[in-house]
Amino acid sequence: MKLYCLSGHPTLPCNVLKFKSTTIMLDCGLDTTSVLNFLPLPLVHSPRLSKLPGWISKDGTINLEKELKDCAGRVFVDSQPEFCLPERELLDLSTIDVILISNYHCMMALPYITEHTGFTGTVYATEPTLQIGRLLMEEVVNFMERVPKAQSATCWKNKEIQRMLPGPLKDAVDVWTWKRCYSMQEVNSALSKVQLVGYSQKVELFGAVQVSPLSSGYSLGSSNWIIQSHHEKVSYVSGSSLLTTHPQPMDQSSLKNSDVLILTGLTQMPTANPDGMLGEFCSNLAMTIRAGGNVLVPCYSSGVIYDLLECLYQFIESASLGTTPFYFISPVANSSLEFSQIFAEWLCHNKQTKVYLPEPPFPHAELIQTNKLKHYPSIHGDFSSEFRQPCVVFTGHPSLRFGDVVHFMELWGKSSLNTIIFTEPDFSYLDALAPYQPLAMKCVYCPIDTRLNFHQVSKLLKEVQPLHVVCPEQYTQPPLTQSHRSDLMLELQPPPMPYRRCSVLNLPFRRRYERVYILPELANSLVPSEIKPGVSVATVSAVVHSKDNKHTLQSVPKPPPVAPSKKRKRVMDEPPVVLAPKPLLSGAVPLEAFLATLQKHGITEVKVEETADGHILHLQAEDTLIQLEEDGTHIVCDNNEPLRTTLRDLVLRFLQKL
Amino acid sequence: MDRECVSLLPRVCEVLAASGSSLPDDTSLEKLLDWFTGLTKAGTSLLESCPCLLEFISTVVHNTALDPSILSFTLRLTGFVAVTEVAFKVLQESSVLDLVFNLQHWQEAGLWEDPCIRIGWIQGLRTMMQHPKALSFFVQADFLQPLLQLQTDKSLFVASAANQMLAHVLLSCQSVSSVGSNDVDEEGEDVGRSGGSIADLEYSAVTVETNQDYAAVVTAISECLKKSLVPRENTQLHQSLQILKLLALLLAQTRPPLWEKLLQMVADSVDELLVAGYSQLILPLMDVILAAYSSCDVNRRAPDQRVSRLLSFMLNIRKPADLIQAAAAFLRRGLHDLVHTAQSARVLLLPLDIITGLNLLTTTADEQRFLMMEQLKNKTSCISLICVCLTNTPQMTLMAADCLPCPPVLIVTAVLSLLKLCSGDSSSPSSSSSGCREVSRNVIGSSKVQKCALDALTALSGSPGVEVKLAEVFTLLVQCLDNPDSDPTVLQKSFQALVQWMSVCSDLSSITDQHRQDLLQVVRKRSCDIRWEVRDSTVEFLGRLAGVRVIQTTAEEASDASVAVLGGCCFTTPLLRAALQDTESYVRASAISALAQTLAASWQQGAALTQEQTEIVNQLLEVLSWDTEGFARRAVVRYFIAWLSSMSSHSCVQSPASSSLLMPSVRSVLSRGSADLDWEVKVHTLELAELLLDEAFSGQRGYTKGNPTQTHPYAVIPNTLHTRTHNEEDVVGVLNSLVQWGVVSALLSGLVDCDRPVALRACRLLITLREVVCPLSLGALDATAAMATVARVTCELPGCGWAREIRKMLVMKAKDANAEGGVSGGEVVNCDDCGEAGQEAASVGGQTPCVSVCEVLRSLDLDERLDVLTRSSDHVHNSPLSLLQDILTASSARSQPDTQQEVIADCY
Repeated sequence: MKLYCLSGHPTLPCNVLKFKSTTIMLDCGLDTTSVLNFLPLPLVHSPRLSKLPGWISKDGTINLEKELKDCAGRVFVDSQPEFCLPERELLDLSTIDVILISNYHCMMALPYITEHTGFTGTVYATEPTLQIGRLLMEEVVNFMERVPKAQSATCWKNKEIQRMLPGPLKDAVDVWTWKRCYSMQEVNSALSKVQLVGYSQKVELFGAVQVSPLSSGYSLGSSNWIIQSHHEKVSYVSGSSLLTTHPQPMDQSSLKNSDVLILTGLTQMPTANPDGMLGEFCSNLAMTIRAGGNVLVPCYSSGVIYDLLECLYQFIESASLGTTPFYFISPVANSSLEFSQIFAEWLCHNKQTKVYLPEPPFPHAELIQTNKLKHYPSIHGDFSSEFRQPCVVFTGHPSLRFGDVVHFMELWGKSSLNTIIFTEPDFSYLDALAPYQPLAMKCVYCPIDTRLNFHQVSKLLKEVQPLHVVCPEQYTQPPLTQSHRSDLMLELQPPPMPYRRCSVLNLPFRRRYERVYILPELANSLVPSEIKPGVSVATVSAVVHSKDNKHTLQSVPKPPPVAPSKKRKRVMDEPPVVLAPKPLLSGAVPLEAFLATLQKHGITEVKVEETADGHILHLQAEDTLIQLEEDGTHIVCDNNEPLRTTLRDLVLRFLQKL
Repeated sequence: MDRECVSLLPRVCEVLAASGSSLPDDTSLEKLLDWFTGLTKAGTSLLESCPCLLEFISTVVHNTALDPSILSFTLRLTGFVAVTEVAFKVLQESSVLDLVFNLQHWQEAGLWEDPCIRIGWIQGLRTMMQHPKALSFFVQADFLQPLLQLQTDKSLFVASAANQMLAHVLLSCQSVSSVGSNDVDEEGEDVGRSGGSIADLEYSAVTVETNQDYAAVVTAISECLKKSLVPRENTQLHQSLQILKLLALLLAQTRPPLWEKLLQMVADSVDELLVAGYSQLILPLMDVILAAYSSCDVNRRAPDQRVSRLLSFMLNIRKPADLIQAAAAFLRRGLHDLVHTAQSARVLLLPLDIITGLNLLTTTADEQRFLMMEQLKNKTSCISLICVCLTNTPQMTLMAADCLPCPPVLIVTAVLSLLKLCSGDSSSPSSSSSGCREVSRNVIGSSKVQKCALDALTALSGSPGVEVKLAEVFTLLVQCLDNPDSDPTVLQKSFQALVQWMSVCSDLSSITDQHRQDLLQVVRKRSCDIRWEVRDSTVEFLGRLAGVRVIQTTAEEASDASVAVLGGCCFTTPLLRAALQDTESYVRASAISALAQTLAASWQQGAALTQEQTEIVNQLLEVLSWDTEGFARRAVVRYFIAWLSSMSSHSCVQSPASSSLLMPSVRSVLSRGSADLDWEVKVHTLELAELLLDEAFSGQRGYTKGNPTQTHPYAVIPNTLHTRTHNEEDVVGVLNSLVQWGVVSALLSGLVDCDRPVALRACRLLITLREVVCPLSLGALDATAAMATVARVTCELPGCGWAREIRKMLVMKAKDANAEGGVSGGEVVNCDDCGEAGQEAASVGGQTPCVSVCEVLRSLDLDERLDVLTRSSDHVHNSPLSLLQDILTASSARSQPDTQQEVIADCY
């Protein structure tokens, strides 16, 4: 069993598991942090961004004025933002049989994998994962296509040139593999390969393995996967959560007794407790509004935003924010808010029960009804006429490089009354803000990451007790910035097997057993004999027939009547000589009785020596050794075949024959 | 004793002796015993006053078929009856006593199995054993052995009672023997006096034989202590525990030579127990050693060598958890022993030393350090050990400098560093060693340790020389307050610690502008917190801070801390006003109190009112009218009490700036507050009324501030109080203004309130008012003549609610007076005295009837009313008479089953 690791990002994994003649891709996350190296894409013309000076190296030898711009003391690429894809050279992606998706954040690279690589397999995902994943992809495509950039910067990627560049650009890795965003057509084509599955549904892959998604509690429709054959079980744990937020709770018990557990998607913010952060979010929001400022929340259009809205729903009364408008701006805002209400079966119990009342499971329905929350596809159109300040705006993209958020940064950045509150943990907020400096608006960083933390995962592993754990190498040491926090790492016995981008791991277990079926008529012909109470044994002579990874024992075909052909006679045509099988022996040789028998046969001088596994009998007169052990008997006598045969027969008297 | 009770008792005894099951409820017997206890304590001889008890006891004790609770009651009752020597003799002569306490009697009846009989037996004996006769009865009957057995009874109550009893026996023997051997000749003349307490035993004569008996008792008990102290197996730990408790009791109370004897007997066993090292026995063992040790301390004896040695042993035990417990127990006693105190301090500081890596201790035994470190690696025990250490740190810093291994400042540093570890912010300096890292990891995120450390930090503010740490403490507390993961209690404690440090340190020169900015930011954030508890603590903090006086360097003037660190009202008032809108009533209430504290300074300085203050007052009056929760409304009334009292203490009531707003507001507070549904709001409103009375009549003859009934009739009243001459015109003016402010209406409405505390307070105040305005002592005719002018002051009695009640009372009074043919009171209700119809007609006609205040005050029978109100509402229900009657009624109900059924039907 082998694991190919195509992504080094612990929360945006992309791994390939080769297991029992199947090749399974586990998630295909897209690392979007690369976009932080690019200039923001403004929705409306920004005089500030358009007037930025081009970058020329100090000695003037390299002139990349067109491609790189100097902005707020840092150099950014002036081009359509590009993403860092999973590794595509490590193995032939066309050999992948299936792709298992855990949640909608971990499928953003799907079009890059399924299109243009020769991929012919199937993608498995739950329905909310597919639908919300589609929304997120659509949103990104929309953000990019709304602001087309003719040029594509490539010169800076030249190895020689990149080495001379300042700051983070110099250290960016694999820049040649970075790719522009896919098109809507590619998204549609990729998603057409998805086959929907429900929790605990078992899907057979070529008869060799069975895969099954389990609820992981992280987001709507998010799942962990069990990949098992008859005798082996691999668990794949991706973004999971034990907190009681909106999704169905995590199914932990089904992860028990795994041979290997592949652990990814732990919280990116181990020191930030989601409850504390939610509190922080609310109080900073209230503080700003009370002081007459606006609040900008850069976020994804699905996921934590539902919880934020629910929390605010309860909070706005006590903080007397009843009259403050909340705006949610995204090309998919409407679909996201409505989708969340219809996936009732994927919600936690108490939200499910609301559906039968009937009430919308999420309170944002009421916020919309009472006009406290309004949603718009973009800042153009209706929004501009109904926009009222002070207000709270939820909009994407959290990287602050594209989407409507860019506009609000330009609009509100200059006033210290306003606040930007980061809730998504995927991007470093300082890097995200870099092209907007100097910034007067207040920044609050309260990343809300509900995924498992180290404390929870240690408890989980103690409970489910996998034989081996495989995880990204980041989880095996404390975070770089907090090297003293030994509580922020995995400590297991045996230690977990770490992986990084491009690792190929040989997973430490061997296939030892296969299930083999026996045909009824063959079974009927067996004659079992009882060797000890409750255990019967029979010998079988049969032919193993293997098809679709299924093995069956069939009766040995009778030799066909020999055709009276004289023309060609080949050795192959001769019926195989079926020898009567030798009887199988079982039982143990009782020492006292055996010695008595030897004596009867005139062997009297026997010296008995006890060994770890049995006894050694030294027949001194004959100069012969008899080793009686649990799983074997050896008679050592030089050149005395008659004696050996006699002794052998004496031994055989004590054994049962089958 | 009440005659009525005495007359009822024989019938009650009959009922009880017949069958106990007809008691009104299961507490009746306990209540009866309580009554007897009270009587005995008051010196009443039960047998003399209730001779029926003797018969009762002798009847009951023969009837073993009775309910065990009655039998147990009888056993205990016998103890009370036999508490005097005379009664004891009577009981003994009638051979009741022998039977009552005869073990065999109870065992044969199969009743001894019932724990209530066993405990009755013990308690009866214990109560009785107040005189030598009882003691010799105990000895001769050979009750010691059974008592020793009961000490390990399976019922905890019985075991504990047996323990107490054994101690009592031994102490009694001690007194008697010491008297018998030394002092008997000198005090011989007092022979035969009936004793009521152990002390009296000393004056009794004891024969040589009995003396020997007592010695035998002492020996038997000490032998038993010695024998049972060391458990032979784990199941006997309970027994050892009991013995240790008894021993601690004895060593604390006995004197030499018995003390010596006891100690000598058990010393070896204690040694053995120490070596065995049972963790469960560590604390009781320490109690024993400390009891012995303190007994030397208290009696000014030099510490006994053996005890000192045992103590040293305890403070050197190997098991870290036991060691810490022992050291903490020693420190708690506060004994004057430099060596052991210093040693305990070192033990208690060791975990802090290890976890923070600060060198609090210059030297420690490596082995002790290693063992402690191993123990600290376990999370649960780490947290509990650290908490014990933290709890003791404040006391340690107050010890003599030579006992403490490091200066108090270093201990504060250690606590601060521990708090940093808890929040996961820093690694300890010595974190290079993996052991320490493993230890410090255990406290990361532990809010239990955080709370303990914050408590310790608050208490440490008073330690000598720690002021230099103020800036550091300030920074850390602000960090705690800013931490998103801090739980509400941690935040509350951080706020409290901050106020405490600022109030103790008072010199805030070390607080920089950055500190202030950080605090402002965090307070602003926490006032918008999602959890109401946090918003509440924040608002409370703002109020408390305003009450702390501090000195700033720049202007050497004292100001309040709120001004010094937060910039005063311009920052706090808007936050507090926003909190007035909070959805949680506790927060609104805290905000109102905080506003009062913040504005107190400006009130005292008599500063002119700002527009903002006017708005606040309007907002508060609205809260009083509309808020649905009592807390907020109570706070509003308290706000005005604070305002009014700060003004009156500075004699500013008449100052135009404030009175223009204050007095009209007070008027509406009085009218709204006295009509409130919450009784506490009403009581506060009456307090406000009292303030106005105080202000109006201060120095007036006859006016006593506060509770009139509490002043002693012969108390000397300083002359200075009489400076103002009795001027009728003054009184009229003052009374008029009291009526206008609504004070009189508030008091009258309070008087007829259905809540007793309200009515009581109102009644007292009305009496006070009457004594100033129209004292009853003058007599009716004199009063009319002397106060013709005052009597003209009237108040309105509208036709609804409380006023209707008052009118009814006045009409009743008038009718009574007329019936008696008296003159006074005829004119009380001058508008009409013709019953309700007339009253309503008057109100409907738009004319609110007016009555003379003086006449009302004189006619309301306030003194009678006060008398009724002063008694608790269940005083009738709880009296012994009622108890006896209840018992009789219940039994008669039982004898007539039909009625009882009816009673049950009535109940449900």
